[in-house]
Amino acid sequence: MSEPCIFIVDDDDDIRASLSRALRTRGYKTEVFASAQAFLDSDAADRPGCMILDYGLPGMTGLELQKHLLERGSRLPVIFITGHGGVSEAVQAMKYGAVDFLEKPFRQEKLIERIEAALAQDARSRQSEESSRAARIRLETLTDREHEIARFLVSNPAQSSSKEVARHLNISPRTVDHHRARILDKMNVASVADLVNLCIAARLFEDAAPVTTDR
Amino acid sequence: MKLSLGLLLALCLAGLQFVAVTIVVFSSYVTSERALLEHARDLLGDVGTNTIEHSKGFLSPAKGAVELATRLAENRVIASEDFEQLEQLLFQQLQISPQFAGIFYGDKSGSFVYVMRSEGPGPFRSKIIMREGDVRETDLIWRDNQYAIVSRKDDPQDTYDPRARPWFQAAEADLTSIWTDPYIFFTSQKPGITAASPVFNADGGLRGVVGVDIGIDAISDFLSRLDIGESGRAVILNKNGDVIAHPDQDLIRRENADGTFRFVNITEIDDPVARAAFSGLLSGRDVSVDREVATRFEFGGSTYVSTIMPVISDELPWTIAVYAPESDFTGPIEANRAQNIWIAIAIAIVSGFIGLFLANYIHKPVRAFAVRSALVSQGEVLPTDPMPKTYSELTRANETLVQAIAERKRSKTEYDRTFDLASRGMAQIEARTGKILRANKKLAEMLGYEPNRLAQLTVHDISHADDPVATVFLSDVQGGGSEYVHEKRYLRADGAPLWISENVIVIRDDTGAPLHAVVTVDEITERKAAERRIQQLNLDLSHSTRVNAMGQMATGLAHELNQPLVAISQNMDTALCLLRNGTDNSDELETILRETDQSAHRAGDIIKALRGFVKKESVEKAEFDFAELVEQTLHLVRPEAKEAGISIVTEIGPLDPVYGSRVQVAQVLVNLLRNATDAIASGSDGENRVTVHAENSDTGTLITVTDTGPGFPDGTNVFEQFHTTKKEGMGLGLSICRTIVEAHGGEIWYRRDAAGRSQFCFTLAALNPKPSVHTRSAESV
Repeated sequence: MSEPCIFIVDDDDDIRASLSRALRTRGYKTEVFASAQAFLDSDAADRPGCMILDYGLPGMTGLELQKHLLERGSRLPVIFITGHGGVSEAVQAMKYGAVDFLEKPFRQEKLIERIEAALAQDARSRQSEESSRAARIRLETLTDREHEIARFLVSNPAQSSSKEVARHLNISPRTVDHHRARILDKMNVASVADLVNLCIAARLFEDAAPVTTDR
Repeated sequence: MKLSLGLLLALCLAGLQFVAVTIVVFSSYVTSERALLEHARDLLGDVGTNTIEHSKGFLSPAKGAVELATRLAENRVIASEDFEQLEQLLFQQLQISPQFAGIFYGDKSGSFVYVMRSEGPGPFRSKIIMREGDVRETDLIWRDNQYAIVSRKDDPQDTYDPRARPWFQAAEADLTSIWTDPYIFFTSQKPGITAASPVFNADGGLRGVVGVDIGIDAISDFLSRLDIGESGRAVILNKNGDVIAHPDQDLIRRENADGTFRFVNITEIDDPVARAAFSGLLSGRDVSVDREVATRFEFGGSTYVSTIMPVISDELPWTIAVYAPESDFTGPIEANRAQNIWIAIAIAIVSGFIGLFLANYIHKPVRAFAVRSALVSQGEVLPTDPMPKTYSELTRANETLVQAIAERKRSKTEYDRTFDLASRGMAQIEARTGKILRANKKLAEMLGYEPNRLAQLTVHDISHADDPVATVFLSDVQGGGSEYVHEKRYLRADGAPLWISENVIVIRDDTGAPLHAVVTVDEITERKAAERRIQQLNLDLSHSTRVNAMGQMATGLAHELNQPLVAISQNMDTALCLLRNGTDNSDELETILRETDQSAHRAGDIIKALRGFVKKESVEKAEFDFAELVEQTLHLVRPEAKEAGISIVTEIGPLDPVYGSRVQVAQVLVNLLRNATDAIASGSDGENRVTVHAENSDTGTLITVTDTGPGFPDGTNVFEQFHTTKKEGMGLGLSICRTIVEAHGGEIWYRRDAAGRSQFCFTLAALNPKPSVHTRSAESV
């Protein structure tokens, strides 16, 4: 995995130059973009790192760029910097997942702190992405019946006894036991609780709703 | 210079007389001389013609002589060689031809018979030479009219040989009748010519020559008898230049060494005048001329006239040359001329005196009138007093003048009363110096002076030092108008300023040079105070609108100010890091510090623009650079525009400096630019742009602000107060813009350009502030 980079998007030449130089001096790798479009035209969105984004960009604004990246599925952390931060703008940005909304001029320690947080977040999300991708591959190896039972177990962790599953799926409890052992084996987990945790972390069966029993 | 009537009359009547007489005398002098010379020439010509006619008189007998000679040659007497009969025949012929000097015959053997007139002892003499071989016998026989012998003798010494004579040789050579050139006869030693004819044998050979002598001494006699002036002379020249006739016959003969005679040549004749006059003719080897030639020449201190006639005829190739001293003809006339001049001078003097008398007589009443006019103008005589006796024209002129004087006195009295009693201040002030010639009571009251004291001051003394004085009162300014109206300050006697409106009417002479000016003065202190109050209110209003606008722009400006601050803080952080690391980063530090400095200036410029915009302006106007003002103004409006996604473009060419209140012009610009961005924000065709264009125009500077917004509906009076299309606007912006632009001598208007875009245009007047007024001190500009 390549070294994380700080992407600076600001239309002001002086700010781009000074910010980039300050971060480089502190040992960060930086790349600068004068407009939202220039950023989108590069492959930066898919690389590890974080973004320092000017809120009031001309053309496509910072908020629009953030929204656009979210829609594209990019999880690059964003730190907004703004000349006149209103509360409503900050709320909107945070709602879209911004790391922070810094008002110019900002203290350097605060910026560094946010950058560190963002990089950590990026690293974390990239790691969980990795593990969920492995879980998903394992999930592919289950048979249809096993997949059905796994889905029920994850969606209804409170009703995970073999009897309850067997009744719900109209099969015998022994068959359930047999399948459950195969599932735990294939998914490389020790217990049903571990399976549920893995699936939640990898956002498997997110569409599944818990089944309410009429018991 | 103007001449007096008296001098003019004297000059006309006396001077012109004199000139007229002089012209007549001079003209007669010139014409009489010319007529005289023509007369002299005619006279000489006539002499020549007469001489020719006279000479021709010799021609017919000469022709007769030739005919005779020819007839004799055919005569049987001559043919018979009977010399006695021949002598008688020749005698008879000579007797009937009085012009002939002699008749002769000579044959080839050298025998000769010659009958000629003689002076004694008989009237005729015959010379007969008989030659037999070398033996010769010469008989000389004198006879009377009846052919009887009077005397006879032999002449054994005689050596005459007819064959050696020119006539014989010429006839022998030509074998026809010939004329000889004039020559001196051998026997008589007189000038003459010979006509000769050859006599032939029966077989056609030459037997001898018969000839006739004709004396031409008669022509010389004729010439000596001619009257040509008092001492003029005529001579006849042969074509070789020999003088063959001269009034003094003795001069034309010259003895040769052998005792014979020849004609003297014109170049050697003992008549120096003739020699001088005609010897030049010989230079062409031939004295003949084609036509009558008249010349003048100088000899011995006198002027001579001469005429040369063409040759008489082929047989007589003679030229008549006539000369005479000019004084022979002009002398009497010159005497006459001198007399004429004396008479003319006498007439001129007399008529001059008469002229002067007449001039004096005519001028006298005019002089008396002039004296009276002088007395009237000095007031010693009343115009209505009776006139001295004079001409009717002068009387009428006098009446007109009397009326005009009365009229002038009346209007002067009216003017004086108007001037003195006027309710407005009035003064009459000298041009160039500004000296107050006269001032009325009202003006003295206004300024707090005694009326007499004002007349000792100049307009500069009573003018406020900071206010201009009309150009007509300045010595170094030419031209200018005829009427000015100024509003300015005068200084009262106590030194307090007094606002007045002065109306200056310039009075000029015929050449347009200003003489003086009539100045009418009204006090306008109260009006000025009111104006100042209104001006102050306007200033307050425009200031509060600026502050208001600034409030609206504050957010954007704060952002704009934050940008350089962020850059500075980032750079400072970098610098600190570098220092902490302790490595040698001086190059990078230098770059950082330089950029930091630029950012600080960037922030400073924004603050400067901001402060300049909200400060309270003074009334003072000054020269400033409009392009720089636009640049500063953009600092203020760009943040808002940027936020709205609008770009502001400037198109500013080379501009003359603008004269006015910088902050107020900035206010106009900010107002128009913010209006433009607001308009675009309310709806645009997609191209969000505001263009500021400025260029020099005929009257100053033309500024255009164009936006891509929707514009105003047609018919909107956009400059009206409290008229607004915005929710939060007061409707004062454009109204204040108009007030400011008009206070700067400019105009503001709204229009749509060719592409239908909204345009606000305004002009600012040129730098030169007030063309008709000259300021006295440089500090007040």
